[in-house]
Amino acid sequence: MRYTLETMGTVASIELPDGWEAELRPMRAIFDEIEQRFSLYRPESELSRIASGQLSLSAASDELLASYARALEWRSSTGGSFSPHRPDGVIDLNGIVKAEAIERAGKHLQTVGCPSWSINVGGDILISPTGGAQPTGIVDPADSSALLCAITLGGSLLALATSGSAHRGDHIWRGGSTAPPQFIQVSVAAADIVTADVLATAIVAGGRDALDDITDRWDVDVITVDRAGALRTTQGLLRSLATR
Amino acid sequence: MRTRAILGSILASASVLIVGYQAGTAVTTANGSSLTLPVGEVTNGSTSGSTSSGATTPETSTAPTTSTNTGTETSGTVASGPADGTYTGSSINTRFGAVQVQLTIAGGSISEVTALHLTDEDGRSIQISNRAAPVLRSEIIASQSTAVSNVSGATYTTQAYLASVQSALDQAGAS
Repeated sequence: MRYTLETMGTVASIELPDGWEAELRPMRAIFDEIEQRFSLYRPESELSRIASGQLSLSAASDELLASYARALEWRSSTGGSFSPHRPDGVIDLNGIVKAEAIERAGKHLQTVGCPSWSINVGGDILISPTGGAQPTGIVDPADSSALLCAITLGGSLLALATSGSAHRGDHIWRGGSTAPPQFIQVSVAAADIVTADVLATAIVAGGRDALDDITDRWDVDVITVDRAGALRTTQGLLRSLATR
Repeated sequence: MRTRAILGSILASASVLIVGYQAGTAVTTANGSSLTLPVGEVTNGSTSGSTSSGATTPETSTAPTTSTNTGTETSGTVASGPADGTYTGSSINTRFGAVQVQLTIAGGSISEVTALHLTDEDGRSIQISNRAAPVLRSEIIASQSTAVSNVSGATYTTQAYLASVQSALDQAGAS
């Protein structure tokens, strides 16, 4: 069965087998907890209170510090293409907490033994390692009612994340650069959703250099759409293209 | 994925050998002497040696005779391969860390290439080339008509979701 719920400013679409709908409640609790802690749109959230100076970072919760530390590790490993800081210095963990929420919800489903599932939060997707392959579309940035292509998730590629400027404007900070981004949409398929999401963001932010660096160093598949509409893909992505 | 990593290793080994060869990097044998190997492309374990002038060792005389060896001469020197045995190449620093290969020569051709060091500074195994290359839309267009269960896109707002393919899939109950 397919279920949808609103969370973190977007919509989550969750596929569960019949008889597993009771798991929706703990999944919603995971999403709500993360939204309440990390949303910069909620002035009462822990992260908002740190941004405004009401709360010192040294007094922050272990959960927030863990996410921040993880984001800093990604900043380091991507050479700064991914960053948990806005240009004004405010800590913005938006780039990682949605993926962490999906990761936690997926772990919950694995823990309770749900055999087959998919979680799609705002276009970032994680599927069950046990449920078999799932054909999964990637939206065409030029036409949100059409698919750019479809790939088969499964095996060692369980997560697919897309970043870009097509839907929310240019929301990715690019190290203070004012030049327009080289890529308007980047999708990354990886073994886990945090890697997929962070690297998709890093490639949008870092352009061609980041694309080459990341595909050299991570076992991921990538498809990019540049400003002229031209495509680049890894060979692995071509091999995993879905065929009905 | 695994296959790709292995292929990457093989390509890396071959490219390192070729780089070393072109740069004149000598391969050191077990007894301390060095020679430059006639190395060609290594594909699926078979070898096609390409011998060029001045690259062969004068004291060896084992001519390539195996069917996989398609050695060609580019000048008047005698086509001769190195003696059978196992050779260890110099360690070369690359952006991926130190890379070193060992190869086994049998019957005048390379029978095996083994990477001795093919990890980055943190000791993780690495993959040499998975770079994204340009493709035409026609190369991926066939997949567009596949029935999918989810759609990935840049984060949409709740409002944008309502007009999305994902919304249509969800209303249809997906699969």
